[in-house]
Amino acid sequence: MAKATQGENWGWDFETAAMPFVDSLYNTAYRMTRNAEDAEDLVQETYLKAYKYYDKFQEGTNFKAWLFKILKNTFINSYRKRQLEPLKSDFAEIEDAFESQVSDEVLDKVKDPEQELLKDVLDEDVQQALEQLPDDYRMAVILADLEGFSYKEISDILDVPLGTVMSRLYRGRKMLEAEMLRYARDHGYLRSGRPSKMRSRPRR
Amino acid sequence: MWDRTGPLESWMHETMNCRKVKETVFLYTDNEMDGEVLISFREHVSLCPKCERYIRRMEVFLTHVRRCHRASAPDRLRRRILTSLPHRQA
Repeated sequence: MAKATQGENWGWDFETAAMPFVDSLYNTAYRMTRNAEDAEDLVQETYLKAYKYYDKFQEGTNFKAWLFKILKNTFINSYRKRQLEPLKSDFAEIEDAFESQVSDEVLDKVKDPEQELLKDVLDEDVQQALEQLPDDYRMAVILADLEGFSYKEISDILDVPLGTVMSRLYRGRKMLEAEMLRYARDHGYLRSGRPSKMRSRPRR
Repeated sequence: MWDRTGPLESWMHETMNCRKVKETVFLYTDNEMDGEVLISFREHVSLCPKCERYIRRMEVFLTHVRRCHRASAPDRLRRRILTSLPHRQA
């Protein structure tokens, strides 16, 4: 991307480069703040900051990732509700929701069980399940699965090591799957009774 | 499990088993796995129908998540952003 370095083209150059990402930024802002009004404010603030710091953007690096990093920082500073530290990310502590909830009978009978189960899960159920994830996991899942960023890009956007990206994605997706299967339970494929809860505890 | 202190490659290569496949499945489905790790992973999965089925399940699950509806920015937001940019006010 050629960037104007000075003069009257500066603003127009920024506008041309940045406005194509408004839908992606808004979608992420909406999923993170969970409401349209905050999402709009967050995106506008992101654009104003990006404009202000446009001369700091390094040409040849990923502009979309740079915008998302500003969005993430703005969200953390201004919109994130006070909350407990993220849940401890430990692969070993996560039960396999699917295997603990789906009977062997079903697994033997159905050729493609996940497909069969999830076909009845509505799009709005997926969205609702996504909104229930803790912020850190939700952001990682959105960046990977809705925006298609690589692990390296997510690591840059979130300012965390690659191993943390991996564990947030793993845990976030497993929580999401468990929630989606909870919806599917109503359709009769799953064992009756409460779904087993994931064992997790806040970090001290 | 991999404690993230040593190289992933050596941990994976020591003894590939079903548990490791489960723990690293998303690296595989996200195309973030390569080299020796990918070779050990594929070798195990080619011989283990249970892991093969598990990977298929995760792929179906991810397809569901990825086709989730995306909210579009309202026109009023586009207008608001554009009119607030300083060069438009000059």
